[in-house]
Amino acid sequence: MASITGSSSLMASLSCNKLTQTLTRAYNFNVVSVAVSGKSFPSLKLSSAPSRFRVSCAATPETVDKVCSIVRKQLALPEDSAVTGESKFASLGADSLDTVEIVMGLEEEFGISVEEESAQTIATVQDAADLIEKLISKN
Amino acid sequence: MATAVPPPSRKEILSLFRSFLRSARTFSDYNIREYTKRRAIDAFHHNKTLSNPSSVSAAFSDGKYQLHVAKRQALVYSIYSPTVKSIMDINY
Repeated sequence: MASITGSSSLMASLSCNKLTQTLTRAYNFNVVSVAVSGKSFPSLKLSSAPSRFRVSCAATPETVDKVCSIVRKQLALPEDSAVTGESKFASLGADSLDTVEIVMGLEEEFGISVEEESAQTIATVQDAADLIEKLISKN
Repeated sequence: MATAVPPPSRKEILSLFRSFLRSARTFSDYNIREYTKRRAIDAFHHNKTLSNPSSVSAAFSDGKYQLHVAKRQALVYSIYSPTVKSIMDINY
């Protein structure tokens, strides 16, 4: 399957540059990309060259959905609760400790590493999704 | 007592919490990793409501010491890591 071979080359490029610890994160990234292989996005995400045709608008709906599901799981909200891109973490009942945990969960889910300063500015779901997209495209 | 040290700011406390979770990730053993995460979350939630500056500072310095312990143990465990992974680590 083209998506798997593409992601293995991405894994190789990751492991050449960074520690072996990143390899386990790259493994998680592999699982993520296989899960979305049904949709038309994998060709965009798996290109290891700097993506020239990435539009500079907001994050993809799939990323926002994944962020929403992680937020729901962390705050133990029911499945049908209204979590959209504009929801602020504080209004969903999360305090700052919950926000840190959510950012950690996002780091593990997407295989990225968020800086201290960037992590402190995240206030809504959309912020988190945009930051994730930026970090993924930077890789 | 000499001049009072200002209690740690919100940012420092959150940064300490983040460091705990990050160092928990570096453990290869599932049990210890989960315990470190759980214990850090429980401890920070338990001390969330402290308002007295001296008790906040005491809890913060205790946390820093525990972080030092966790990092040291992460190093030791990485040297003597078990060869067989825990079943919880295997994703099907």
